[in-house]
Amino acid sequence: MSTTDSVRDNLLARIKTSDTPYEVLRAPELKALAGELQSLPVEQRADAGRALNELKQSLQAAIDVRQAELLDQAVVPIDVTAPWDLNSQRPELLSTETGTQHPITVELERVIDIFTRMGFDAHESRQLDDDWNMFGALNFPEGHPARDGYDTFRTEEGFIPPAHTSTMQNRVLRADKQKLEAGGNIASISYGRVFRNEDVDATHEHTFYQVEGVFVSRDASLSQMLGTLRAFFEEYYGQKLAIRTQPGYFPFVEPGLEFMIEKPASIGGKPGEWLEMLGCGMIHPNVLTAAGIDPTEYRGFAWGGGVERMIMLKYGIEDLRHFESGKLAFLRKFA
Amino acid sequence: MIISVNWLKKYTSIDLPVDELVTLIGARLVEIEEVVDLGKKYEGVVIAKVVECEPLEGSDHLNVTKIDDGGVAKDVQRDEQGLVQVVCGAPNVRAGLTVAWLPPASVVPETFGDDEPFVLGARELRGVMSNGMLASAKELDLWDDHSGIIELEEDRKAGESFANIYELNDYLLDIENKSLTHRPDTFGIIGFAREVAGIMGKPFTTPQAMTLDGLTWSTKLGTLDAPKVTIDDPELSSRYQAVVLSNVNCKIPLSPLETQTYLARVGVRPHSAVVDVTNYMMMVSGQPLHAFDYDKLKAVNNGEIDIHVRAGRKDEKLVLLDGREITLTENDIVIANGDRAVALAGAMGGRDTEIDENTTNVLLESATFNLYNLRNTQMRHGIFSEAITRFTKGQPAELTTPVLAGAVDMLCVVAGADVASDVADTYPVKQEQASVSTTVDALNAALGSEFSADDIVRTLHNVEFDVTVEDDTIVVTPPYWRADIHIAEDINEEVGRLNGFETITPTLPKRDFTAVQPDRFDTVRAKIRHTLARAGANEVLTYSFVHGDLLRKVGQDPENSYRIVNSISPDLQYYRQSLTASLLNLVHPNIKAGYDSFALFELNKAHVKSDGLDNDNLPFEQDHLALVVARKNVKGAAYYEARRQLEYLGAQLGLSFTFQPITEPITGSVNAAPFEYRRSAYVFASTGEPVGIVGEFKKSVANNFKLPTYTAGFVVASAELARLTEQVKPSYTPLSRYPSTERDICFQVNQATAYADILDAVKKGLAESGLQTELSPVDFYQSESNAETKNITLRVRLTSHEKTLTADDASAVMNKMTDSVVSALGATVV
Repeated sequence: MSTTDSVRDNLLARIKTSDTPYEVLRAPELKALAGELQSLPVEQRADAGRALNELKQSLQAAIDVRQAELLDQAVVPIDVTAPWDLNSQRPELLSTETGTQHPITVELERVIDIFTRMGFDAHESRQLDDDWNMFGALNFPEGHPARDGYDTFRTEEGFIPPAHTSTMQNRVLRADKQKLEAGGNIASISYGRVFRNEDVDATHEHTFYQVEGVFVSRDASLSQMLGTLRAFFEEYYGQKLAIRTQPGYFPFVEPGLEFMIEKPASIGGKPGEWLEMLGCGMIHPNVLTAAGIDPTEYRGFAWGGGVERMIMLKYGIEDLRHFESGKLAFLRKFA
Repeated sequence: MIISVNWLKKYTSIDLPVDELVTLIGARLVEIEEVVDLGKKYEGVVIAKVVECEPLEGSDHLNVTKIDDGGVAKDVQRDEQGLVQVVCGAPNVRAGLTVAWLPPASVVPETFGDDEPFVLGARELRGVMSNGMLASAKELDLWDDHSGIIELEEDRKAGESFANIYELNDYLLDIENKSLTHRPDTFGIIGFAREVAGIMGKPFTTPQAMTLDGLTWSTKLGTLDAPKVTIDDPELSSRYQAVVLSNVNCKIPLSPLETQTYLARVGVRPHSAVVDVTNYMMMVSGQPLHAFDYDKLKAVNNGEIDIHVRAGRKDEKLVLLDGREITLTENDIVIANGDRAVALAGAMGGRDTEIDENTTNVLLESATFNLYNLRNTQMRHGIFSEAITRFTKGQPAELTTPVLAGAVDMLCVVAGADVASDVADTYPVKQEQASVSTTVDALNAALGSEFSADDIVRTLHNVEFDVTVEDDTIVVTPPYWRADIHIAEDINEEVGRLNGFETITPTLPKRDFTAVQPDRFDTVRAKIRHTLARAGANEVLTYSFVHGDLLRKVGQDPENSYRIVNSISPDLQYYRQSLTASLLNLVHPNIKAGYDSFALFELNKAHVKSDGLDNDNLPFEQDHLALVVARKNVKGAAYYEARRQLEYLGAQLGLSFTFQPITEPITGSVNAAPFEYRRSAYVFASTGEPVGIVGEFKKSVANNFKLPTYTAGFVVASAELARLTEQVKPSYTPLSRYPSTERDICFQVNQATAYADILDAVKKGLAESGLQTELSPVDFYQSESNAETKNITLRVRLTSHEKTLTADDASAVMNKMTDSVVSALGATVV
């Protein structure tokens, strides 16, 4: 055993039982090792220096663990079955006036409520998914360039933090297939967190929220899609709205569109100002087939869009980064 | 991608004002991000002739010129012949030149749109008056050449507008490429113009030279056979054509100048005629070409041409045109002569076979490559050229021929080239266009539209689809450049889009009157949010990804987190294992921001590797509710406040909890890891199910996050809360007609006796009374002098449903109860 190893074992043992473990770093053995370094031949010095550094690092780690132990030793137990402490009073709740709900969940609740009243059920999307749900089931062939547009993160295992809530489409279609077979429709929204590998600034976030919807029936059509989306936004903004579309390319729909509304007066819009709200389209037959639904018998439409922008427009929020900042200065501006 | 409206007009007539054109393109083809009015930029630039040119006395490089501007410039000092004096420092200025003159008061185009654009004037230079300036290509913002003034063609007339002559009264459209990923044809001006005609409802005709039928080749003057070309793997390339040209002049620029300005306005810098022609043909058609120096190419393979299109080899090296040496992989496609890789196919040529000004013999390539391989090549080697952008959209194999023929024609004209060889054409599997059938009814049903058969036929004919109608059936054969048309839905898209989806009337689906069942979990979570907000807490949402240090700070092992391998920052490297760490991380910053007391809560998901995979082989997702309460400069046990929040929440959901002491240090639990076991409790539902943990945090954790002493929190399984809430049955006891009696009782017990045990003993002691009883705590007292015991005061409320209780009745019940408590717990009554 080399000197360094024996010093290490010795000092580590001392740290484990010491009440003042940091003092071990001033041990004479360490000083001696450092002293020997000077007397070594030049070519051995680098290795010995490295060994000494590693030793110091391992001692520091052990000291941190011991310090934490010591800290945690000096704890007075309490009777956790009691409603309050000895010689004390029942704790008061914080003032109702300071309590707030996050603006994103407020908005999601409202969106879910409107779609529920329109006949859609709602599901939260997963936050860790696989390639099949992210791309495969949605008619993105392996290696397709359209995959690049999503800037997906990946885990070591190859799982994917969803880059859109469309990861829920295949699940929803499969789960609700029997509704079609019983003569009904599939009408469902999915909502939740999505992730994109993007640099963050006032208008870009790597984490944000989307709402996604699907409708499948025997006679679903593009005109129904336009009508449904317009109905949602008219309810949401409480006024009649002009709509516009723009061709969009998403492999899971055909045709694919971007859906725009004329900026509502309630959020300061003037005629001729348009807002891109979401992407939409008729569900691609391959997507229906992947969910076991016969595209010659049924058709569907789907759409998806971001949530934060609707909120930013509503309140005039200037910086996307506020949402996940956890700053009370921001949170307490909301009800 | 930049599209020039004037370039489009060479292929289709556009009589709409530009704003209407932009709206129409936006609605029916693709989003336009920006429109640039080029005419404004060149307003005022005048074509002029240099009549006289004399060195300026006392200057080593300045010349005094007299220019003829045809007399068009106003308010300019002129000599008796009407000429204007301009001082010019360019080395190439001389009498007889035709130049671009920027008169006084005009803006230098290079600075157009800047915050402070450079406005010219008339000023003295070394005592000589100079009016405006003679401009270089750089000052004209055409391309980056400042070596001298731009020399215009001699036959241009003095006084003509530069913008008019070079068609720079143009609008540039900045196109959002992403939504054209599936439309390689629109990456050429012809293809884009075809679509513009289509959306205006006009028929388009592809120029004869670009059709397969109208194709002619320049006459072969040389004696070479077609170059030998082998596609080693047809998966990598569906077609490779090549031809050898001789006598190519690589010293001269592309002519006419107007064509150069077209390349310049879409962002392509002119090089030599040869390179410019390949770029020009690519811009027009969408098909990239590559020109090799034929002699250099031969030289790398002992004077032989034996071209192979093959996969790169592991560790094979190639030096690219830009001088970078890259290491190839088996996923790259290379062009090799013999065994030697000479170009990274579709991406960039090699340095060893580069065209230079001494090149006279050229091998011109027109080919297609597997877009998936190229996409990887693009990412791997970071090459984002105009060529690879087009190749990765999947250019059709049929297109290689007309583009190669067109480029050869053009090179014969502008670079004096001769065709020296036959054309090699390696085309393993000919591309055939399959027909797609649909019906008028099916199309209208899917779109909710009312198109007639004639409407459909006309719409598709306009963009050169072959359409036949038999009875109800419409059979469509797309042209060779439309590889994206496979199914009836693609026809729906074309017809709907070209006519405008905005012409379709929105309707609503029919639905029955069945009520939609809101998701229970959603409903409960909404209630949790509203309740906790009412209790003064603030809901937060925090990132699902965290830094490894944050995990360590709460005693969680990063190895137990799903790790992101391509994260942009170490802050986003791991999936969090619990919400508590994220909340604790917010306490100190908010205190520093001036908030002294607060509670933060979050409803979200957590992912822990050791939880394993669910039935779909996906990581198990835990739904949690976590809350942290903190107060600055407050003494006492924060545990009780966190517990109070949780009990309040439970009560609002119809649940009651029990809190079980934790008897040993917590190990192995991810969620409980940050909690101090001696000041925390496991939380159970009254029906016995575990729900979570509430408590204060370890001192080490508090140190790590700089928490105030008064900090506590809880984490509970929110999905379990929802499930329990669903099972709550309404419970109600009818009110008694008789008044209740209240008695307070104080027990002195050993300090270690748990309140829960006292409560149990009291309940047991009251059980046989047959009365309705309610217990509530009043006081917990410990004297400073005696830490061995504590005094617990309870209020007992007794109610009979049969009679009014007398004082004796109540005392009897209470005495019986106290006897049993005293004997069970060794308590004394105080």
